[in-house]
Amino acid sequence: MRQRKRMLNELDEDIHEHIARETQDNIERGMTPDEARYAAMRKFGNVTMVKEETREVWNFVWLEQLLADIRFGLRMLRKNPGFTAVAALTLALGIGANTAVFSVVYAVLLRPLPYKAPSGLIVLHETTPRVGDVSVSYQNFFDWRAASHTFVQMAAVQSVGFNLAGITQPETITGDAVSPNFLSMMGIRPFLGRDFDASEEKAGTAPVLLLSYSLWQSHLGGDPNVVGKTITLDGRSFTIVGVLPPNYRSLDMTDVMLPIGVWATNNADAIKERGDRGDMVVIGRLGPGVALGQARAEMKGIAARLAEEYPASNDQFSVTLQPIRQAFVGDMKTAILVLFGAVLFVLLIACANVANLFLVRGASRTKEIALRIAFGASRGRIIRQMLTESFILACSGGVVGVALALGGIRGLAQLISADMLSGTAVNLNGAVLLFVGGVVVLAAFIFGLAPALHSTKPDVQSELKEGGRTSSGGVAQNRLRGALAVAEISLALILLIGAGLMMKSLYRLLQVDPGFRPARVLTMEMDLRAQQYSQDPAVLNFWQQLIDRVSALPGVQSAAVGSAIPLTNSHGRSDITIEGMALPTPGNYPHPDFHVVSPEYISTLGIPLLRGRTFTDQDNEKAPLAGMINAMVAHRFFPNEDPIGKRFMFGHPSSDPPKWYTIVGVVSDTRLYGLANPARLEVYLSFRQNPRNSMALVVKSGADPASLTSAVREVVQSIDKDQPVFAISTMEELVRNSVATRRMTLVLLGLFSGLALVLGAIGIYGVISYSVAQRTHEIGIRMALGAPRSGVFRLVVGEGLKLAGVGIAIGIAAAFGLARLMSSLLFGISATDFETFAGVAVLLALVALLACYVPARRAMRVDPTVALRYE
Amino acid sequence: MSTKEERERIELLQGTLDLLILRTLLLGPAHGHAIAKAIEFKSDDVLQVEQGSLYPALHRLIKRRWISVEEGTSENNRRAKFYKLTPKGRRQLTLETRKWDKLAGAIARILRPAGQEDES
Repeated sequence: MRQRKRMLNELDEDIHEHIARETQDNIERGMTPDEARYAAMRKFGNVTMVKEETREVWNFVWLEQLLADIRFGLRMLRKNPGFTAVAALTLALGIGANTAVFSVVYAVLLRPLPYKAPSGLIVLHETTPRVGDVSVSYQNFFDWRAASHTFVQMAAVQSVGFNLAGITQPETITGDAVSPNFLSMMGIRPFLGRDFDASEEKAGTAPVLLLSYSLWQSHLGGDPNVVGKTITLDGRSFTIVGVLPPNYRSLDMTDVMLPIGVWATNNADAIKERGDRGDMVVIGRLGPGVALGQARAEMKGIAARLAEEYPASNDQFSVTLQPIRQAFVGDMKTAILVLFGAVLFVLLIACANVANLFLVRGASRTKEIALRIAFGASRGRIIRQMLTESFILACSGGVVGVALALGGIRGLAQLISADMLSGTAVNLNGAVLLFVGGVVVLAAFIFGLAPALHSTKPDVQSELKEGGRTSSGGVAQNRLRGALAVAEISLALILLIGAGLMMKSLYRLLQVDPGFRPARVLTMEMDLRAQQYSQDPAVLNFWQQLIDRVSALPGVQSAAVGSAIPLTNSHGRSDITIEGMALPTPGNYPHPDFHVVSPEYISTLGIPLLRGRTFTDQDNEKAPLAGMINAMVAHRFFPNEDPIGKRFMFGHPSSDPPKWYTIVGVVSDTRLYGLANPARLEVYLSFRQNPRNSMALVVKSGADPASLTSAVREVVQSIDKDQPVFAISTMEELVRNSVATRRMTLVLLGLFSGLALVLGAIGIYGVISYSVAQRTHEIGIRMALGAPRSGVFRLVVGEGLKLAGVGIAIGIAAAFGLARLMSSLLFGISATDFETFAGVAVLLALVALLACYVPARRAMRVDPTVALRYE
Repeated sequence: MSTKEERERIELLQGTLDLLILRTLLLGPAHGHAIAKAIEFKSDDVLQVEQGSLYPALHRLIKRRWISVEEGTSENNRRAKFYKLTPKGRRQLTLETRKWDKLAGAIARILRPAGQEDES
């Protein structure tokens, strides 16, 4: 580009030459030299502009301008350190909050799942109106797989648990028994060793397994020669055939993976019994071009046919399909999107505030801008320069914001439990930084454009060139600033209403009576190994010893075992028949949750006994079968009679002799599935009459229950040194976790709306105090003419309240629509709860009043003589 | 630059000015001032070019290699830049002239029924 350089270097000379010739011509036409020169220059036009335009003809002029703009911008920002700091910090808060929340959005909603073409993977459950989504019957899986054309592949995934002993301290590990095609369908190759073989689907196949990468690292030291070695689970020896890749992600914890044939070997019932719905989900891959709706229609048809063919097990059962991403996200989605919307609002408010600051400063820079326009700078050029300045500011806000977000993400990680994230990590990564970049650019435009356009507007320029401050030139500007303040207030109001609704919901939720007293109760689960505890007496002996020894520990008030602790995932459900009831169709039998419990269970968990008695040690293997029911069973099936002494049995009437349970007591309903979910039918059985290997221990202590953990562990080890315990928790923790998503939403929404409130208040304060400063002269005149100070006060406060009123009105209208989006997060109130709306509106009005108070006081103190002397 | 409307008008002017410069240089190399004079003179002073706007246009034509520059001395022995049509510029002129004729003809046909043909 040598030509460019030469042409531009000589441009001045060329122009000079041109004007000289024109002048000469004019002189020859008879003008005086002065006239001639003046005429020539007028004819030539604006020299600066011509030079600028010519320069722009050539390449990368914009780059030079950009560098100059950046230098100039930096100088301007350095000249006003207070302005810069306030603006950058405001932006940093907005950008930091967005970065932190987006890192969660990315982790949960956007991060690609580590599978081949994950959008074609669908999770299938069975569903029945009595319960909702339930596990899949293995028999039904075979029929689905055979009948479906929309799915090219299907695999069953059965959760399994093992006791692992002999490597470190005894512990429980979990895993999946999968159809042999599972890994290849998901597009996953073992990190080491081999995938499963189709032959390993049949029961009786050799016991083999794949280790998870983390188990391989933690328990086998990452031994590269691990393939072919054996590992002992539940007293059985398994050959390790491989290791799963480190990025393997599944819907639940996977320590080991085995072919489903190995599971089938030991669970012959599940293979034969169609009605056995253990703990199985099915994952399928849709054929190319098949829509989810098509597959859903086909599967529902298949399920309906099966329900007709096998009414005893399938009556009322259908099937649900959900994309695998949705299965991972669960109930987090709404909460996350609501929070994401909330931080975007915070950012908008921050931008409005900074735009306001820019407008104020723009007013003091009008002279500079006027001068530059007079010297021939085009309006576009000045706008570009001002946007560059905004951009620098947004960038520094972004850098500080990311630093804030690093802390924020750490805080978020404490609010969001690991199981809410199902195996993904919230962190600052490339995608998040890309988002930050986008936000910075967007923010720079949002807060930079309006002030830039405004302060270069020709009419503003012409008026302000006069240099006067009495002119009404500020009218348009004040309107813009007022609009920004109104926008801030309405955004803040929407956020506050969201937070208010969440707060009230959580309050209502925590007011729900769970049906048990969680205070000072410790729980942990145990799964007795099938080999050592194959006989009922051994099982009963273990549990009885455990109860007796734990009860004897100092500080323990009572101890018991139960099979289905509320708010955990271990639940058992079964159809029952009540003696003498009209027999329904197979899918409409009462289907209660059942609890196998020891005598002290009810009192340890604080479940009120309503009628009759609880179990005693006499309800043992030799006594007649006894049962308790909850209030819901009593109301539904014994509405006008005393249920005590009535009988029920499990399953449907058949040719086998019935095993009747006699009802001895009625207890309160418990919220097994979370405080927000309705109570269900429940029956209780005595553990001595229904020995089970898998139980949870509950311990009521006199003090902090967690302090008992190690003592209880020692008791378990003293009974059986190889017996692991898992899922150790206090009941209060379980209650807290059950509302964790809502609590997280509330905490963050509260934080963001608080931030919004402060920023909004600053916004109003800024607008009003600037307006007071501008109107000092006018106020002075008013006071000189005898206006009372209180009148001036009212004038100023009235101005602020007018803005606040408009903002509140707009905000309420918008919140009316937006709050509905979060209705799935609410509990016990409507999305348009009047109290919340009214309360928040009043709160905001008060804050606005407070924000106007200071400038109004200042206006009252205006000294007329001083104010008038300015002219 | 500030509004869209204004920008379009400038662009139309630019294109037209480029065409006029190329046409002027068809008669032989000339320096900037002479080009401006020629355009004014030839158009019977109807086209009052703001002379400064000639320079961005000249630079644009150089950049597109439709004209070239030579150093030289003018009639009265002053140093001057002479702008000269390149073969590429000549082709462009033919093309642009044809386009212009087409456009002018089309506009004239539309305007004639309204009895406006005398205006141009």
